[in-house]
Formats: sequence, C-alpha cells, structure tokens
Amino acid sequence: MAIMAVAALFHASRFPLIARRTFPSSVSYCPLTLLSNGFTYRLQSIICFSSSDGGGVSESDMVVTEAQGPNFLKYSDEELMKQCKFETFRVSGPGGQHRNKRDSAVRLKHLPTGIVSQAVEDRSQHKNRASALNRLRTLLAIKVRNKVDIEGYSPPPELLQILPPKSTVRSSSSGSQIGPNNPKFVPGMQALLDVISASDGSIADSAKLLGLSTGGLSRLILSHDGLRMAVNSMRAAKGMKPLK
Amino acid sequence: MIRSFRFTSLLSAAKPLRSFACSSSPAIEPPQCSSSSSISLRITHPKTPLFLRAPSHAAPLSEVWKWHGWAKDLASSVDDNSSPEDEDSLDSILLLRELKWLIEDSIEASDHHHPVIITGTETPRGDDGEKKSVKLRASLEELYDLWRQRIEKRRPFQYVVGCEHWRDLVLCVEEGVLIPRPETELVVDMVEEVVRGDEWFKRGVWADLGTGSGAIAIGVARVLGGCGRVIATDLSHVAIAVAGNNVRRYGLEGMVEVREGSWFEPLKDVEGKLVGLVSNPPYIPSDDIPGLQAEVGRHEPRLALDGGVDGTDSLLHLCDGASRMLTSGGFFAFETNGEKQSKMIVDYMTSNLKDSFSGVKIVSDFAGIGRFVTGFRL
Ligand SMILES: C[S@@+](CC[C@H](N)C(=O)[O-])C[C@H]1O[C@@H](n2cnc3c(N)ncnc32)[C@H](O)[C@@H]1O
Repeated sequence: MAIMAVAALFHASRFPLIARRTFPSSVSYCPLTLLSNGFTYRLQSIICFSSSDGGGVSESDMVVTEAQGPNFLKYSDEELMKQCKFETFRVSGPGGQHRNKRDSAVRLKHLPTGIVSQAVEDRSQHKNRASALNRLRTLLAIKVRNKVDIEGYSPPPELLQILPPKSTVRSSSSGSQIGPNNPKFVPGMQALLDVISASDGSIADSAKLLGLSTGGLSRLILSHDGLRMAVNSMRAAKGMKPLK
Repeated sequence: MIRSFRFTSLLSAAKPLRSFACSSSPAIEPPQCSSSSSISLRITHPKTPLFLRAPSHAAPLSEVWKWHGWAKDLASSVDDNSSPEDEDSLDSILLLRELKWLIEDSIEASDHHHPVIITGTETPRGDDGEKKSVKLRASLEELYDLWRQRIEKRRPFQYVVGCEHWRDLVLCVEEGVLIPRPETELVVDMVEEVVRGDEWFKRGVWADLGTGSGAIAIGVARVLGGCGRVIATDLSHVAIAVAGNNVRRYGLEGMVEVREGSWFEPLKDVEGKLVGLVSNPPYIPSDDIPGLQAEVGRHEPRLALDGGVDGTDSLLHLCDGASRMLTSGGFFAFETNGEKQSKMIVDYMTSNLKDSFSGVKIVSDFAGIGRFVTGFRL
C-alpha cells in the first residue's frame, strides 16, 4: 500500500507514456446492450470528469454503467482476471533476450464492462498486474452502479464497515471503521455510491439512510479522491453543486 | 566496458577483503561496499546492490536536489537526438522512471526524508533544504557517476542499481549475469499451473539449466513449497556466485542447489529422475548480436545470449537431454526467440523425438509472441 501511495504521486510522469504511445487517451461507449455471462448491462449514461486523483483512478473519461448482474467486486482476483483481456505495452520488436526496456506496464480490459485499468509504476510485471487489478476494483466500484431499493433500505455489511462510528445504523458487529487506504474500503465505497445514485445525488437523503448527519457523510465522501469525484460527477449530471 | 567491470570485481576479490567504507572520492567504478571482514577465498564475490548497502553517507538536501535536477535534465535531453521508433534509442520517460527507482534504492526512507521529498513533489518549508541532511547508500559523487554511466555508457539500469525486480522477487544482478526478463516470469507461472494440477510434481527434483541470476530456480522453488528440490546449473562463474547469493538471500539453501558446469553434465546423478526441467537458454542467432540494443549487446554476457548460427544450438541440445533426464510424466518448459524458433523446436520434438514426448505445444508471452515450448515426457 505504501508503495502504491508513493507511486500515485508520480502520475504526471507515468501516464503520458501510455497516452502517447499506445492507445487513445479516452475510452467512451455508446449506449448499448452487452451480453456477457448471461447478464445484461444497460450502459445508462456517460459522465466525464477530469483525471488524476489519489485513489489511482486515472481515466479521463468516466463511464457509469447500471448493472443488473453480478457485483464484480465479489469475485476473487483470479476470477476477475479471467474476465479481463491482459495486455502489455510492448511497442514492437522481438522481446525476450533482445531487449532491456523497463516498460513492464500492463493493461487490463474488463470485458463485461469495457473498463480499462493499467499500471506501469512498479518495477516488475508481476506487481504491475497486482496494481492494475487493485485499480480495476476501484474503477468498478466507481463506475458500475448496482440498483438498490431505497424503500426499506438497510446498508450491507461492507458499507457499514466504512461508516464512522457515529452512524446510528451501525452496531457493534460492524467492527471498527475501515479507512480509505484499506482495500476493504472499495466494496463499501461501491455500496455507498449505489445509495447516493439511488437518492439522485442527494447527500442529505443518503445521509438519512445511513444514520449520519449530512456533514458526516460529506466528510466521508471527501476522504477518498475517487469517491469524491464520482459523487461530484453524479451531482454535476443532475445540475447540482459539487462537494468541496 | 564489460571487460573493465569484470576486471574490477576480480581485482577487489583477489585482495583480502578488509572492511572499508565506500570512499567519498568520485567513484569511477562502483565501489565494493563489503562490510564483511572475513577473508573470502571465492574467486567471484557478488556485489552488494545499492538497496542493500548501509546508509553510511550523508548529504544536505539541497545538494541532493541539485543532483536530482541535473539527473532529470540529463534524462530529458536524450529525446532531442533520437527517434522514438528506434528500438535502440533512450527514452526520457523511461529514464525518469528509472531515476525515481534509483532514488528509492539509494536514499534511506524515514519520516524526515522520504524519497518523495527528493523528487520535489513535496516542497520544503523555509530553508529546510539547506539544513536537513539526507542519508544515502552511495555518495553523491557516486550517484552522479552512476547516472552518467546509465546515459552515456548505456549501462543497464539494473546493473547500475545492482538488482532487478522480477515477479515478487528482488534479485541481485551484476555484469556477467543476464538481467532476467519480464517474459521469463511466465515460466514460473507455467510450473505453478502444472504443480497445482498434480501434487506429484512437488515431491520430485526439478532442474533450471543456465540459471543466470537464479531467477527461475528461485521462483520454482517457492512455487514447490517446503518439500521441493531444484538444481540450478550454469557454465558461468559469475552466474554461479550470483545465483548462490540470491538463493541464500531468500533462505532457499535447503531447496535450491547451485552446480557449475555445462548443461546436463553436472546432473549425472539425477539422470532419468527429474520431474521437471526448465530453461531459458541463449537463443539469439549469432548474426543478430552486433545489432542488439546497446544495453544488451554492450553490457550483458555473450555467453547468455548467443545461441549459435540460427540460435537453436542450446535449445536442441536441451531437447535431446530432456528425453534422457526426465522421468516418465515429467514436465519441461523452454523459452525461445519467438514464433519461428518455437515452431522449429516443436517440429523437432514431434518428429525426431516423437516417442519421448507428449502434449508438446507453444505458449505465448504477454505480447502474444509464441515464446515458450512446453510438454511432458512420455
Ligand atoms: C538467457 S540466460 C538465462 C539466465 C536465467 N535463466 C534467466 O532467465 O534470467 C542463459 C544462461 O545460460 C548460461 N549458459 C550458457 N551456456 C551454457 C552451458 N553450456 N551450460 C550451462 N549454462 C550455460 C549462461 O551463462 C546464462 O546464464
């Protein structure tokens, strides 16, 4: 985690390479119906927000998809990997013993959603793959919206875990609060975004469902850059002011 | 260049190794920072990579910044006179990333001076830069010299810092030993798959021929878990010393045995008994050697690269040997120069050696190039 956090500060030098050399800097999708594993995904809206944040989210274009299907974050790394097309950034040439270029960059394309995640900052391919997979989980959490029913809503355990102790829906079985640097924050963040999305971007309404004050929920949202940007893009799409 | 580096390492090993600090004089060659006071009788004494040296140097933060600025400028200047399409040209973006890694390896991280501070992502308060001192694993003079070697001499970054990150390992490397390639990481993945499918593979002896830094042997040993055994061979003294050192660093002395000699020659005692045989032998056609990227052609050992006229000399020898060395059901995986060689090897094994092997197939690397040939002894 520490390495990743340090690495995140080097965005500026990392991604231009990829953008310059290998593929267009933005990925966007038209509304379409994708069939995969027997599930249907309706890609509902295309929302853009700017790049660069501490959570490793670096796509310049955001695609928010509404999924009626599996919650991808529940898959193990291996299962998730199987749903991905794995690529490296080798420009060309014979590779192997011929070559010493430290571009052990990897790129994962998650086929069911089209989400692309990449990592180049680590020194081995192995670690870049792990980083790309972690980053993919964050992107899935941010971009894929699962439907929740607001009537009679009760937050799932992964969401309860990231809520501050003050929350009235928390109980002693929710454990201590999990912070934004913990990988377990990601599934909770996804569930949180699902609630905010179902509340049409309203922080006050979402806060009520989570037993928090509006200020308390805002602070939680602002604690993670990716989360903040996802919420703000959701709000922007509805003509609401961003959280700061 | 290669010759002079080898010469140095021989020289410093030949005289009794007294402990001496890394001198502060401008280092022309990387100093040997051996803290050991014992007299070593080995001919080849592996070098200590930067990241394992003691942080016995100090410099004011402002001086380190000055160095970093200079190094950045040097790295950025290379783009002016090279075309990005040229495989052999330096790329400033890659160099800047390497510079960041050089800093990670040579500066002691602590709360007060984290490598990040050096790169200027965190601005200092007040005149901190003048007063604060940074602990370094090499003198600033040496850092100037190392970066100059990287860019002007095209010395591979991995030799500059003395290590390569490969899979989840950090392996020591130095002149005289091939720097393990990312493609080769897959050999260990293939072994892992075979072993996961059948526990039988965990109980027998494996061999990694032409082990170099010991990369594959160490990777395989870790996949095999506690009861595995791997014999790693190489013809090169330096490789044997470096591989032995890496094996020790990972605490695998009990599992990986390093033996010096040509291909199967040191393996007479396990003939017909191996459950697995893996190798990344030299496979570059001799005629291609002069045209190699400078980092490779000028600095890495020819013994590790040159595979003879069409590059398959060692590979064919390994195929023949595999039929003798493997026990029935045993697995092999060889890395090749790519599509063409892989096909040749598959043809050879399915015609000349058809009674010995089954399931012979080509496996692609991450770039989609048919890079490996794998199969089983009948
Ligand atoms: C391409 S390098 C591979 C090194 C290491 N296995 C890796 O993948 O990084 C080939 C290795 O084969 C060794 N080699 C060359 N000829 C040999 C021989 N006749 N017997 C044993 N090893 C040999 C070289 O010294 C070198 O270490």
